[in-house]
Amino acid sequence: MREALLDPTGAIAGENDSTLSPRPVTLKGLTVGLLDNTKPNSTLLLDEIAADLRRDYGIGEIKHYVKDYFGTPIKDELFRQIVSEVDIVITAVGDCGSCSAATVADGIMFERAGIPTVSITSDSFAMSGQAMADVQGFPGFQFVMVQHPVASLDSTHIRGRADQAVPEALRILGVTEVA
Amino acid sequence: MSDPTASASVDDALASFREMMAADGYLLTWSEAGEDKVVVTIAATEGACEDCLVPLPIMTNIMAKALAPTPYELDHVELPGAVH
Repeated sequence: MREALLDPTGAIAGENDSTLSPRPVTLKGLTVGLLDNTKPNSTLLLDEIAADLRRDYGIGEIKHYVKDYFGTPIKDELFRQIVSEVDIVITAVGDCGSCSAATVADGIMFERAGIPTVSITSDSFAMSGQAMADVQGFPGFQFVMVQHPVASLDSTHIRGRADQAVPEALRILGVTEVA
Repeated sequence: MSDPTASASVDDALASFREMMAADGYLLTWSEAGEDKVVVTIAATEGACEDCLVPLPIMTNIMAKALAPTPYELDHVELPGAVH
């Protein structure tokens, strides 16, 4: 039996809202969803970032989610679950052509559902992420770009990527208040 | 496109994307398609990450924008056969 074809852009007809969800100002006590796209080092990078946000910005519960495939946008069932369970989302890592585009598409979906979201790609694939934002009708969507590569790094270097990502994530989320 | 300056402008416009494609194991080339259009072709090299290839609508968006500063327009993008 042939499987139904998915639109790799995740585009939805009539979906053209390019307004960011309300920004939280503070992260204190907020539930943070970490969406892992299964690319190597995604889990470690997200955990390092979340540890910083807990220590310095007082985030509350951390929930982990895993996509079933990195190259296409998140499936609807998992999307709806996350939207119902968290206050903000951080998703990583777009360090290839398809996964950087999908990571940005996921972020835009969450923003349109009212969840402030940080999508993380590597800088080598910024064009892919930006093109997805354009195709989605959200050209101003901002995402974090860490230095490429990510997948091949050891834990020490992933810590460095987290250091790059956190200030940008806070800027994108509009957070100004330290815990 | 006999003008070497014009050819160089297309090369320059696509240079950064060529590097991006190479990171996933793909080779980007282009060819003329009429007087003012180009066809961009993406070919897989040995060890290319098939699942990593940018979807065609995204690829087309990138190439069209990349060529905007040049005197040429994108005709279309050709991806490796398996992912059409």
